[in-house]
Amino acid sequence: MGDDVAFVARNLLDLLIGLPAQRPGGLLLSILLSAASLSVGFGLAVIVASLRDAPWAPVRAVGAAFVTVFRGVPLIMLLLIVHQFAAGGLAGIDGSTLRSAFVTLVLYAGAYQADIITSGLRAVPASLVEDARVLGASPLRAFLTVRLPYGLRVMGPALAGQAITLFKDSSVVVVLGVAELTTTARIVLGNDVANAPYWVATYLAVGALYLFTASGLSTLFARLTDTERHTGLVGH
Amino acid sequence: MISAELATALAGGIALTLGMTALTTVASLLLAFRLTEARMSPRRVVRLPATIVVEVFRNVPALVQIIFWAFAVPNLFTADTRRAVFFDNAVMDALGAVTGLPLPYYGLAAAIGLTLNTTGHLTEILRSGVGSMPGEHLDAARTLGASRRTAMRRVLLPTGFRTTFPAISSRLVHNMKNTALASFVAVPELFGVIQGEITRTFDATRLLLLGAAVYLVLAWLMTVVLDVVDRRLRPAGSVAGGG
Repeated sequence: MGDDVAFVARNLLDLLIGLPAQRPGGLLLSILLSAASLSVGFGLAVIVASLRDAPWAPVRAVGAAFVTVFRGVPLIMLLLIVHQFAAGGLAGIDGSTLRSAFVTLVLYAGAYQADIITSGLRAVPASLVEDARVLGASPLRAFLTVRLPYGLRVMGPALAGQAITLFKDSSVVVVLGVAELTTTARIVLGNDVANAPYWVATYLAVGALYLFTASGLSTLFARLTDTERHTGLVGH
Repeated sequence: MISAELATALAGGIALTLGMTALTTVASLLLAFRLTEARMSPRRVVRLPATIVVEVFRNVPALVQIIFWAFAVPNLFTADTRRAVFFDNAVMDALGAVTGLPLPYYGLAAAIGLTLNTTGHLTEILRSGVGSMPGEHLDAARTLGASRRTAMRRVLLPTGFRTTFPAISSRLVHNMKNTALASFVAVPELFGVIQGEITRTFDATRLLLLGAAVYLVLAWLMTVVLDVVDRRLRPAGSVAGGG
């Protein structure tokens, strides 16, 4: 029993910030990769959501198809598809796996966020946007200064939940060998039979790291959206 | 074109994906009902463990849970015991005969991991549905003489299930996609078959796009079926949401 605790303790720093040769890695890379994909994915999601509300049917179809495809195919498969097209090789052969993982997570997060944004924007009273237009705002300005900020406050909790889900889903990039938390656990354990007794303890530690980070984020987001609710436009 | 060989392999993979989806869907729904009941218990000794378990199932990624049950747990035992308990015994042989899996324990482990993860999410959804219900439902049932347990099982849980069904369906579709993670522990479901074929033929682009198309069709079919269930669940005379 004591041995496996010692094993986890010895490798904890690697699990947290990555193996010495591959820093940032481990949990830190899981967080950085998720945060980066969510931010870029959000920009993409706003574009996709506006396509879905476009006045022209073929444009709407493009937006809808994007969401259907990236929400309908398992992430583990999307990762291989993107890597196949981006690097033209099989997983693990080429050094650009991090880039492929990032691009895939952007597309995946973008599709889920687009769905949230679409329903959030549809919840904004049309009269608000019309008022802005009557006061002389251009359609783009009315969208950016009235519809989007108002909608965002409604979407807050759903977007926060999606961010936490993406962080957990980022474990799947292990299929490309990107050295985030799940991959680092595999590397630390390796193929050494002598490490077999430490597998359970190591994966319990990995699970605990995901659990604590996810619960921490969820508490943080709950506090943020709560503050936003009290200070923001939605005053109840 | 799809060769006969590839078609047979794909059919086997699709059958396993569907089988795992069906099994984990039913198991996680049943477990989620029991856990929601426990989470809403007035007794702290019941409520607290249920709450912790749900947080763990939900917040540890499905893949980590699958690897834990498939690869980590057997490693607790010495080589001989491991073989006897997890691989070479009558139960595993029977399971292998039914499922056609060469290593049935890995299939079982993946199913356990997926079921627990989905149970965590479903419990959270159900609890929000039951919690958002007007207190009069419970009061009415109690007034009519129902025990707290009966009121929970006959009134609150079914109503909560109906109101949250859209969220439940989207989680169940997510669970179907997550069966692809079982390929990571050597379970030859659809994605595992696709990967196997890629190693055999190197025709990666075509096989991946073909696999993606099959998953899209499966996700679409599942949505259609769940939408029908959703409509059936609505009490007669109620206004269907959004249309």
